[in-house]
Amino acid sequence: MPRKILIDCDPGIDDAMAILAALHSPELEVVGITTVFGNADVENCSLNALRLVELEGNDQIPVARGCQRALVVPLESVGTHVHGLDGMGNTNLPLPHGQLDGRHAAEFIIEMVQTYPGEITLLPIGPLSNIGLALRLEPGIVPLVKEVVLMGGNIYAPGNISPLAEANIYHDPHAADLVFRAGWPLTMVGLDVTTKTVITPAFLERLYAVHNPVTRLLERIQPCYQQFHQEVFGMDGSFHVHDPSVVAYLLQPDLYRIQQMPVYVETEGRGLGQTVADGRRQWAERPLINIPLEVDEAGVLELLFELLTRPVSPSDVGTPG
Amino acid sequence: MQRIWIDTDTASDDAVAILMALRWPGVQVEGISTVAGNVPLEMCSRNARTTVELCGKVVPVFEGAVRPLLREPYWAFFFHGPDGMGGMNYPEPKTPPQETPAVEAMIQAFRQSPGEITLITLGPLTNLALALALAPDLVEKIPLCIMMAGAACTVGNITPAAEYNVWVDPEAARMVYLSGLPLVQVGWELCRGEANLNESDYQYIRSLDTIYGHFTLDCNRQAIQTNREWLGDPALPLPDPITMAILLEPGIVRRRSKHFVDIETISEMTRGMTVVDERNVTKKEPNVDVIWEIDIPAWKETLFKTLR
Repeated sequence: MPRKILIDCDPGIDDAMAILAALHSPELEVVGITTVFGNADVENCSLNALRLVELEGNDQIPVARGCQRALVVPLESVGTHVHGLDGMGNTNLPLPHGQLDGRHAAEFIIEMVQTYPGEITLLPIGPLSNIGLALRLEPGIVPLVKEVVLMGGNIYAPGNISPLAEANIYHDPHAADLVFRAGWPLTMVGLDVTTKTVITPAFLERLYAVHNPVTRLLERIQPCYQQFHQEVFGMDGSFHVHDPSVVAYLLQPDLYRIQQMPVYVETEGRGLGQTVADGRRQWAERPLINIPLEVDEAGVLELLFELLTRPVSPSDVGTPG
Repeated sequence: MQRIWIDTDTASDDAVAILMALRWPGVQVEGISTVAGNVPLEMCSRNARTTVELCGKVVPVFEGAVRPLLREPYWAFFFHGPDGMGGMNYPEPKTPPQETPAVEAMIQAFRQSPGEITLITLGPLTNLALALALAPDLVEKIPLCIMMAGAACTVGNITPAAEYNVWVDPEAARMVYLSGLPLVQVGWELCRGEANLNESDYQYIRSLDTIYGHFTLDCNRQAIQTNREWLGDPALPLPDPITMAILLEPGIVRRRSKHFVDIETISEMTRGMTVVDERNVTKKEPNVDVIWEIDIPAWKETLFKTLR
């Protein structure tokens, strides 16, 4: 039985790779995709989520649109300087033909979790507004969720959107704090490992040499992301593997060495969005969070390569965008 | 017919406000949504239904947020009694609460009748904040939101800086205040001093000898006692009924003006303070119609009308 996952995302170039890798895994069943502002505005993120499910004919997967802004802090910016105005590297892909689910993402999450108690793994790879909202609309979902594996935060690594904070957490720190203290099994795949996992031009060359709808799409959208990593980090065409690392962790947790600590989120001031681990339990008790701190980089890259290039049966393949 | 929706953490003074709306000619209460605040949610729901039944009306009561968005709950039993109704232990209401969650019901109601239903909030703003997060279009669909909230340029009640409803869920309040909804702020200071019910008001209300009059004083008996023991003041402050009176009889307002108002969410000392830019020093667009002064005899007459 494949494992049921619900991806909450803001696609987003690295979200696209994560979603497509998850869709290719026979061990995972994507029961739905919910969208949130973040890498672009929620309208574009929602269009992109539809494009990604339609790319290889997965049109049956519902896509529900979610929050257009953080719960509490007023929205100042989205990540379009990294991902393009359309969230897909300014490639202006054709419009998807499918429709969004009528429910709000938070309502969709609650209903899916209640429909499959104990079975759903949540994969948040954007700001946590939808999950935080769902937690407050229906606190009863906590024990019904199998596990939460999110991309976000940083413990020992520096931030990326600010010297202290990682972008997903920064964009909705209050929602993130709700998620970190909820008391469900939670793994935070953060910058400590995602910045140690680097895709190089050589990897891409090997990837693009395999022709399928996924590699063709990635080849089209990736240059914008590479350009950002060049301008900011001087990475010469390489880039960090953020969101796809969540899929790698889910499938092969043994590729990571984890430590368990309670995590607090700073919701004010210069440290806005900083995730702080209380390693010595000096503050009031909070649930322990799984925090991957070391990664088998080659193992993760090999797994992602295998997933993205894996042939899908022709009957699964629809019209590429 | 004026259509209204009441969002409430129903305990004593909320109950009187609900009674006023139910008894006011020409007002139709479309729904009552409850929220944890003064007392836990189940108690709010029960007290709201008790009040509706006392008035012989049929109004759906929905159950909403069980706790503030981020902060821990802080119950006010000391003021409202162990049952939230002055320890009167009214019998269990016959009507059950609605099954639809309050936030969903609010969204449905305001979307079905855009621009038609005035919202009045008597408790923490958690339900409304959640509704706005789920349905940002409500900003265009709620024509007016009158809030018992805050303290404009004056002291608070739960802390020196803050009024209880805003203090208990300041993040929710901030979401609402900065949402763009047309807001009216009725601060707790409007129920102070002469606006309190006093001994002669009690005598008058008892002399009416109606179920409504007795209920008004009975369910507030803990509040009266607490006020007497705590502040040495035998009078009864009624912030929620004053807010309702302003909705029912806008003419009782003597002075109001629009300002930019923001909510303090960072400091512990001034948490939940409603910071009113009275002198427009921030040059930010006004977002709240602040009520500064009411006609006190007219407010009391508005209340008494509903108790006769």
